[in-house]
Amino acid sequence: MIGTNLSRWTMTYFAAALAWLFVALGLLVAGVGYPAGDIASPDTLVLVHVICIGWLSLAMCGALFQFVPVLVAKPLFSDKCALPALALLTVGLLSLLGGFLCLGGRLPPTLWLLPLGAILLVVGFGLVVLDLGLTAWLRPIGPARFVLVGLASLCATMVLGAIFAFALAGWAGSVGGVVLASGIPLHAIAGLGGWLTLTAMGVSYRLLAMFMLAPDVDDRQSGVTLAVGAVAVAFAVASGALAIGLAAGLQIVLSIAGVLGIASAALYGRDVVGIFSNRKRRHLELNMRMATLSFASLAGVALLGIALVAFGAFLANVGAFAFLAIFGWLSGLVLAKLYKIVAFLTWLETYGPVMGRAPTPRVQDLVAEDRATKWFVIYYAAVWAGTAALLGGEPAALRVAAAAMTVCVVGIVHEIVRIRRLADVARPLRLPVGAVAPHLLFARK
Amino acid sequence: MTSELVDRVRDALRAVIDPELGENIVDLGFVYDITAEAGAVRITMTATTPGCPATGFLREGAQAAASTVSGVVSADVTMTFEPAWDPSYIEPAVRASLGFAAVN
Repeated sequence: MIGTNLSRWTMTYFAAALAWLFVALGLLVAGVGYPAGDIASPDTLVLVHVICIGWLSLAMCGALFQFVPVLVAKPLFSDKCALPALALLTVGLLSLLGGFLCLGGRLPPTLWLLPLGAILLVVGFGLVVLDLGLTAWLRPIGPARFVLVGLASLCATMVLGAIFAFALAGWAGSVGGVVLASGIPLHAIAGLGGWLTLTAMGVSYRLLAMFMLAPDVDDRQSGVTLAVGAVAVAFAVASGALAIGLAAGLQIVLSIAGVLGIASAALYGRDVVGIFSNRKRRHLELNMRMATLSFASLAGVALLGIALVAFGAFLANVGAFAFLAIFGWLSGLVLAKLYKIVAFLTWLETYGPVMGRAPTPRVQDLVAEDRATKWFVIYYAAVWAGTAALLGGEPAALRVAAAAMTVCVVGIVHEIVRIRRLADVARPLRLPVGAVAPHLLFARK
Repeated sequence: MTSELVDRVRDALRAVIDPELGENIVDLGFVYDITAEAGAVRITMTATTPGCPATGFLREGAQAAASTVSGVVSADVTMTFEPAWDPSYIEPAVRASLGFAAVN
């Protein structure tokens, strides 16, 4: 296998994900959900699922449809799953959000929207898991193993989420009620820790090594990082479910899982430092410089978690902990990598077919890093300020921070649209004879 | 005549760049071998990353560039990752301009 094809719908996933990110930021600015409302309120459920499914999961799926074939150097199992999956996930998320709004009394009581949304999301993510899982399974080495564990975690997240949705609609009996009452930490750990974090780690190993021309991290070394992370998630979910069944010991299970999670983050930090220090390209592009701020945020998440547990203040501040993990570590990394991936894929789509026939620009000619840098830097500063606002119990300050984040994301998206439109490519090279300008929202055949 | 054709094909391949590094595949040391026999050109080349979507475009670009050279009847490009490409293969002047770490 020499090269892989361009994924047709990756840009569509990215566009949908960014649209959901704006919805989430709008909710934060408007003060809908936590911290203005209760952390377990239906409004907070809307906010969390817009972020985790709409923004992060769709962006991750879009990236994986392109990069899993690169990780395993094999073509995607099927090209036909991506678009139906996106449609199912979008309708499923809308239905789930509608159900949450019913719970909160913002819509007439149509609670069947919750199980309907859950079923649509399970089928949509199921298509993603099948397609990506069967592709990664062809060569389960290196970073592809992280993706497989991430996909398994996504399945666990879906099962728990579906039970909750049926329970909230009153369709899951007494067992569903018990799982709903205690199982939310397991759902969050499997989703944020297993699916989003382990998958982001795996993809980052390959992207960092590829774009900085660094040797790949030794398989055994990254395997230890993955094993510790996978055990943390598996232990939390399996032992946590047992503890819920026995009505005892859940706090101990979560504490052990937390220690393992921190150990995995520390091992990942060691691996990333190794990639950076062994890189052959000394110059760091914007996406790499900004990714370091995400790694710093991940370290901040680990340290904050340790400090909060040490002072017995974890539960009271779990919102700040999750905010830093979601917006500093995951969202920051996804935004920085989107900036690079969109430029790289746009170059391939536009100039790849005319290479050798006409002069072509470099990937870096599609971006204007000087202009984009400020948006990323202010974004991270606003996230850290927002975390401090949550820790300090200042909801108004969080809304100001969220407004600053929104302005920065508008700036970043503006830069990404300019990349897609080739707006910063100098005229003579912009569209050589035979080249076709890319569509904003999907890759042409 | 044959070595002159090889030289002209090598020059033509300078129209193909690695999109990430922004330099042509000849100066980057991606082209491992070029042979020509009765106008049939065979090129053996590499890229930085197996499986990368750019790799297929590099191969097709090299084939298109070689095919434009007068005297070339057919151009066959083979991609290989044995040996794996290393920055030490880059022309020294280009290597310095790309900001690479010192390589052995």
